[in-house]
Amino acid sequence: MSAETHVRPPSQRIDPARWVKDNLFATPLNALLTLVFAPLMATVTWRFGRFLAVDARWEIVETNLTLYVVGAFPRDQLWRLWLSLAILAVVFGLVGGLVGATAREAAIAAGRDTATTRWDRVARLGPPALLLLSLLGFARTFTPFVLTAGIVALGIATSLLGRRLPGAIRRSVPLIAIVGVVVSLYAISSFAGVPRDEWGGLLITLYYTIGALVISYPLGILFALGRRSSLPMVRWVCSAYVEFFRGSPLITLLFTGWLVLPFFLPADFPTPTLVTRALIIFILFTSAYVAEIVRGGLQAVGRGQWEAAQALGLSPWKQTRLIVLPQALRAVIPGLVGQAISLFKDTTLVLIIGQQDLLAIAQNVTKQDAFLGQGYIIESLVFVGIVYWVASYWLSKESQRLEVRLGVGQR
Amino acid sequence: MDEGRTTDATSLTGKALQAGGTGEVMIEITNVEKWYGDFQALTGVDLVVGRQETVVVAGPSGSGKSTLIRCINRLEQHDRGRIIVDGTELSDDLKDIQEIRRETGMVFQSFNLFPHLTILENITLAPRHVRRKARKEAEESAMQLLERVRIPEQAHKFPGQLSGGQQQRAAIARSLAMEPKVMLFDEPTSALDPEMIKEVLDTMEELAESGMTMICVTHEMGFARHVADRVVFMSDGAIVEVDDPESIFANPKEERTKLFLSQVL
Repeated sequence: MSAETHVRPPSQRIDPARWVKDNLFATPLNALLTLVFAPLMATVTWRFGRFLAVDARWEIVETNLTLYVVGAFPRDQLWRLWLSLAILAVVFGLVGGLVGATAREAAIAAGRDTATTRWDRVARLGPPALLLLSLLGFARTFTPFVLTAGIVALGIATSLLGRRLPGAIRRSVPLIAIVGVVVSLYAISSFAGVPRDEWGGLLITLYYTIGALVISYPLGILFALGRRSSLPMVRWVCSAYVEFFRGSPLITLLFTGWLVLPFFLPADFPTPTLVTRALIIFILFTSAYVAEIVRGGLQAVGRGQWEAAQALGLSPWKQTRLIVLPQALRAVIPGLVGQAISLFKDTTLVLIIGQQDLLAIAQNVTKQDAFLGQGYIIESLVFVGIVYWVASYWLSKESQRLEVRLGVGQR
Repeated sequence: MDEGRTTDATSLTGKALQAGGTGEVMIEITNVEKWYGDFQALTGVDLVVGRQETVVVAGPSGSGKSTLIRCINRLEQHDRGRIIVDGTELSDDLKDIQEIRRETGMVFQSFNLFPHLTILENITLAPRHVRRKARKEAEESAMQLLERVRIPEQAHKFPGQLSGGQQQRAAIARSLAMEPKVMLFDEPTSALDPEMIKEVLDTMEELAESGMTMICVTHEMGFARHVADRVVFMSDGAIVEVDDPESIFANPKEERTKLFLSQVL
């Protein structure tokens, strides 16, 4: 065998029969497992697919689509939501494009593979696209089509723009993002808008998720740093905070915010609305978990990194901000995204304090005269289940992509 | 100076107090002690280093060599005694510490480059954020330094993509970017494969010839012999013998020095 014939590695193609033998029937136990589970999986898939496509009576979703999405939100104010969505599309487009481009540049500089196959793209974007299309399929008028298409186009356009931003503007993108999110919130609630107490459905679910994320993550990072402070008081306060909120069930905390908190406030102090109280509880709870995740990341950064930063004369704050935090956060992206997904799903607990979030709506719509007592709860729960799953799945896929590009787990 | 201490010119450590180089004192270490819990790592060390001098610190592991040079830029805090670097005494005042760290470069055994930044960013970070240089200016001087350590083509790569020897040379460039008056080397070649040791030692030798004040903790006795102005031999947290390289290698006086040299040469 001469060396020069092997310019490329030998072909790894194997024929399907061989693949089946190697992967499904390699050993007797393997073969047995295949024989048991293949029919089982086929049956489940077939029945679920049949339910989705044939048996399910989707008219409950079709009739109540707006209710699922916004709850009791006044219908003559819906334009505010579209406006807010458009602002968010711009913001997330810019941030997404910028993060993507930065990660891509880093990946290329580090010589990591950035090639994506068609299958990657389908796996990543397929489920959200499918969900969006089926939602539009349930819509009864043509307007949502046009508006959604417009917003998707806006998001894509700004993400392309985000990829090509010059350095000077890049640095101000986080600020633009924060301002954008705040403006999009006030576009709904202020200027004779709809107070948050009247929001419902997916809208309030997203409000809790995004609101708590945006505030609790920076807060959690501060607590994590505080636990490593050289000042004992700061250390104790941060540790006590984290241990307290990690040790309390979220339901207990929500009940406390709902029933107990108002009693402790001074009589003339304006009690925050229930929605605000619930948001505060989510922030307190999540930031404690984020603090622990980030603390793990901080421990993963070697002592040599601190020492090199110190030896160069960087101030303690700059040692943290420029050297240690970027490495620590990169190392814990999976944990941080996991916590975000967990928060998204945990917001369903507001159901028990009487909030009309997506899950509560899913239950309540089955009590309408047209659907009462006919088992529509199955369709309704399957529908919101799919919504939760697709959102969580998409988030986790995007984070995996980011991890690969940033070389998390490689040195 | 402590009256009872035997630091006159006739003792084996007497030459510890004779500044070499230009004769001007750059670093003055007086009776420095350091404990880790109950273990005493430094037991009253006196050493004076002159401007433009190269001092090699040798000795068995655990003898306090690294601890000594890590005390100079406050990576370790000494418990007693005084350390003065270019007229600034090391105190608990963060301002003094920062002042000394700005003037003192350090090269580590394990390089400690920042893995999330490119080589160029590693080098420009401190000039930009500590010396407040403009990015363009910092990058230009960084490229000159990379030319000097002969790896300009690695500027836009990440540390993980470089060989050990290239990483250590990048780390030297990173320290030099702060235009330090003193360079401290903490076993810079101990983590390197044999074929890469030479390229790092060559870089250090050029640096010594350019007039940098250097303290090098190293086991490379060839380097000590050719480049050092003085060799300091340490054992059990104390300086045992100090002399110029010819004398100490040809004619070591202290038993522990003889034993150590017989093992490493």
